[in-house]
Amino acid sequence: MKFFAGLLLAVFALTAFAGEVLPPAPAKYFNDYAGVVAPAAAGSLNQRLEQFERDTSSQIVVAVFPKLQSDSSVEDYCVRVFNAWHVGQKGKNNGAVLFVFTQDHKMFLQTGYGLEGALPDVLCKRIIEDEIKPHFKAGDFTGGLTAGVNAILAAVKGEYRGNGRTVTQNNSAGSLVPFIVFIFIFLLFALSAVFGRRRGFVYTGFGTNYGGGWSSGGSSGFSSGGDSGGGFSGGGGSSGGGGAGGSW
Amino acid sequence: MKKLALGCGILAVLGGIVLIIVLIAGGSYNRLVGLSQGVNSSWAQVQNVYQRRADLIPNLVATVSGSANFEKSTLTEITAARASVGQVKMDLNNAPADAAKLAEFEKAQGALSSALSRLLVVSERYPDLKASAGFRDLQAQIEGTENRISVERGNFNQAVQSYNTAIKSFPAVFYAGLMGFAEKPYFTASTGADKPPQVQFDFNKK
Repeated sequence: MKFFAGLLLAVFALTAFAGEVLPPAPAKYFNDYAGVVAPAAAGSLNQRLEQFERDTSSQIVVAVFPKLQSDSSVEDYCVRVFNAWHVGQKGKNNGAVLFVFTQDHKMFLQTGYGLEGALPDVLCKRIIEDEIKPHFKAGDFTGGLTAGVNAILAAVKGEYRGNGRTVTQNNSAGSLVPFIVFIFIFLLFALSAVFGRRRGFVYTGFGTNYGGGWSSGGSSGFSSGGDSGGGFSGGGGSSGGGGAGGSW
Repeated sequence: MKKLALGCGILAVLGGIVLIIVLIAGGSYNRLVGLSQGVNSSWAQVQNVYQRRADLIPNLVATVSGSANFEKSTLTEITAARASVGQVKMDLNNAPADAAKLAEFEKAQGALSSALSRLLVVSERYPDLKASAGFRDLQAQIEGTENRISVERGNFNQAVQSYNTAIKSFPAVFYAGLMGFAEKPYFTASTGADKPPQVQFDFNKK
């Protein structure tokens, strides 16, 4: 107990960095919190990034913030936000996030461990300096982000294979909840049968009637709404600080 | 007859208690082994990123010295710092158990960090160098490597913290030492904190 309290405190102390609040995981792939991108372009970029995850399983996220909400440096902040969002698939760590802070005139392209090969720091720097920066300097965020996303997708394409679904869709379709509920109820019945028998009661047909009834009810009740899922969910990836930043 | 039954009962209870203790200790031992391995693997990552930085330096020196009359003293400093990093022999697979050894490693790497950042500052004065694509690429690689170093140092400290908390918590605190689980040292200063500050105040002066 003491250990858990200590660990909890330790984790809390590590996450609570000098009073700064990390932004919650985004709901979409393309997130314009600063309101600088044309809505139509933002929508189509979001769709492309979502389709990209279906095709390749790599999660590419764009987050445009009005201001850096931290006293620490951009690169330090971005890696912590990235790891809090768990961008990229678990085990593959194939995520990348393009952070833009419009009022600070700063951006950072953060890569997960698994994309350091497809998006080495040098390439990240080139994308930022050569593809995005010229547009940003002219005040054209839509053009800069479109060019940036194009370059990132071109670099990451072919690095991993997708299974046609996003993490959000996988979560809602293959949820473990009905399975766990079923196991729990099964155990409950098994235990009551064992203890019941000891006291002289015999549950006849518990395997067919009760078990069957619960299992069908459980699975049909929970699996509906499987393919309605849209939007972004982090797959459990992490970053080791790869990527590059720039200012304009 | 009654005494025998009582004795058997007490024995059974004692046996049960011993069994429970053995089970708890066994589980706790396995957990400590896991945490200790976690520290070792994050140590390997730390070594990895520092090695990555060391590997960049010959390339950097070659690029920079190609630039017309670049300050020779900065380059000598970098080369010397890299050589002294190589002098500190660390076990690649096992996290250091000795705080002094880790401090020595940190000191050598810190000297290289400050030599590198000085070089990047000095290079600002060479527009032709700064404008070259080769130098920009190298700069991006060095910055990325420095970021990786700070991330992996953070991960290492976090792993050490979990481990140290575990060996000092109940019930492991009673037997962790006997089983050879000693406290492991942390990285102390954050990267770059060992650089001399630009402005110094003399508080002793009246």
